Amino acid sequence: MPSAIEVHNLTKQFGPLRAVDDLSFEVAAGRVTGFLGPNGSGKTTTLRMLLGLVSITGGTATFGGRRYLELDHPCRHVGAVLEATSFHPSRRAEDHLKSVAVGAGIPITRVAETLELVGLTDVARRRVGKFSLGMRQRLQLATALLGEPEILILDEPSNGLDPQGIQWLRNFIRHQASLGHAVLVSSHLLSEMEETVDDVVIVSQGRLVLQTTLADLAQRAGTHTGLRIRSPELPRLIGILEAIPVGYRQMSPDTLVIDGGTPEWFGPLAAQHQIVLYGLANETGSLEEVFLTLTHGFDAADPGLAAASAGAQTGPGPSGPAPTPGVTP
Amino acid sequence: MIPGVRSEWIKLRTTAVPWVMTGIATLITGLSILLIFLNGASGNGNGNGNSAPAFSIVPQTTQQLRNLVGAGVGSYIFAMLLGTLMVTAEFRHKTVTTSFLVLPRRPQFVAAKLVTAAVVSVGMAVFLLAFTVIGGGIGLAADGGSFSALIRQVPAVAPGMLLVFALFGILGVGVGSLLTNQVAAIIVCLGWFLIVEQIIIGIWHGTSKWLPSGAASAAANVTRGRGMDYGLFSWWEGGLLILAYGLIIAAIGSAIMAQRDIT
Repeated sequence: MPSAIEVHNLTKQFGPLRAVDDLSFEVAAGRVTGFLGPNGSGKTTTLRMLLGLVSITGGTATFGGRRYLELDHPCRHVGAVLEATSFHPSRRAEDHLKSVAVGAGIPITRVAETLELVGLTDVARRRVGKFSLGMRQRLQLATALLGEPEILILDEPSNGLDPQGIQWLRNFIRHQASLGHAVLVSSHLLSEMEETVDDVVIVSQGRLVLQTTLADLAQRAGTHTGLRIRSPELPRLIGILEAIPVGYRQMSPDTLVIDGGTPEWFGPLAAQHQIVLYGLANETGSLEEVFLTLTHGFDAADPGLAAASAGAQTGPGPSGPAPTPGVTP
Repeated sequence: MIPGVRSEWIKLRTTAVPWVMTGIATLITGLSILLIFLNGASGNGNGNGNSAPAFSIVPQTTQQLRNLVGAGVGSYIFAMLLGTLMVTAEFRHKTVTTSFLVLPRRPQFVAAKLVTAAVVSVGMAVFLLAFTVIGGGIGLAADGGSFSALIRQVPAVAPGMLLVFALFGILGVGVGSLLTNQVAAIIVCLGWFLIVEQIIIGIWHGTSKWLPSGAASAAANVTRGRGMDYGLFSWWEGGLLILAYGLIIAAIGSAIMAQRDIT
């Protein structure tokens, strides 16, 4: 099946800043693709280039081979929910949707249908200025769905939604994929997307870190373990760890995770240096950790190496994969 | 094109902008009507002491009646502001993102607004004409004047007024698409007519016919015939001049907008 969305060597230069750098990935129909990366990693810029809102410095971003500008009825093929999009505060929800439907050549009957779909029928005649953030987000979704598009682009769609709303959104996204639609949904939190996505595209500093399936990412997570330590003497402990050296990540002022460490290895070490411990637990790798390691530990000079060395230490100290001193993790 | 214009009309009528602009224009037109009657009355009081005929205090000559019917013509500036706000409000409220997703070719977006602004501005002019005919007619009838004489002047005044309003709606969209910052655009529009034009005319008297307000006076004169030569263009020359200003500014505005990143 041809890809619904194709991004090839996409680049965006904002003055001296290269926001998106030679980015390539594809989004398949009938699947949910998570577009993941920390804030400021170029996700929003990429999505806006796809939609013709931001000009492209280099490369291409197309839907079935055609740019958004070249689509005959763009709103009937591609629906988008973008951050920083807004509504005229004194316009009623229903009138907003009517203006879009009429402009995009979509039957006006879709207005009531989409309001029903996102659960805003009761407030259809209310002015959008009185809407909560969650209601605005639903109205944005209704706007995107007006043309019954086969491709959906959602930029951080769960912002502002309450837990019920997030659950609703997950079901909604899964349903769209089950209809054979392609869904590209961005987030800076993988944990938020774990239950929703089939594929992941991970970016950092405007570059592709990894495109793979969620299943593959989960496998990486399974092999990635460490030891979580809580101690009031963290600075001293860090000094000891760096002297060995061993990789670690500091999670909070009193907590760090030692890459590949085990209690059998660390217990004697702590006793030897008389370090006070409040907690010590085996860290079973989570997707979120793989994600954080991939995005933070990403060496911009060599994406291949960075992707291969998931689990590399990220704290200050020697570079390279974490040694596992004398123990098998 | 038609869907874009219909969409623009829905967007416009679902905000306060056209109603507020028409409201202010109506208020000012009402004051102009009042002034016409008051001037007539005071002019009579300053007479030579002989008892003046009663009809002299009310507009009575053809030109006076036409001035009364056309009392709202100066409010074309509100048609211009309406056109400007149609564009700047999209940027101010960030609705432009959705608008560009619907109409990704940005010159089309500006073109839809140009057409809509022209049509809505004509609507505003029609409303103001109705207001002056009814308001002025009542005043006239109360002072013993002829209501039907007033109505007979409508065909002479209306074409020029509708033309000027349509053209200034277009000019407004042009200014808005060039200056998308709402506050800046409004300041420039008002500042131009209240200050800049006066200064330019003060320095170079001959330029007044080339300026928008001079061109507006010319264009408003479609059928009224001019009593004296004010050094203005003919009505169609003046109209073309405003249209050219509007379209050139809108073309530059669209070209800049087409390059702009909507982030």
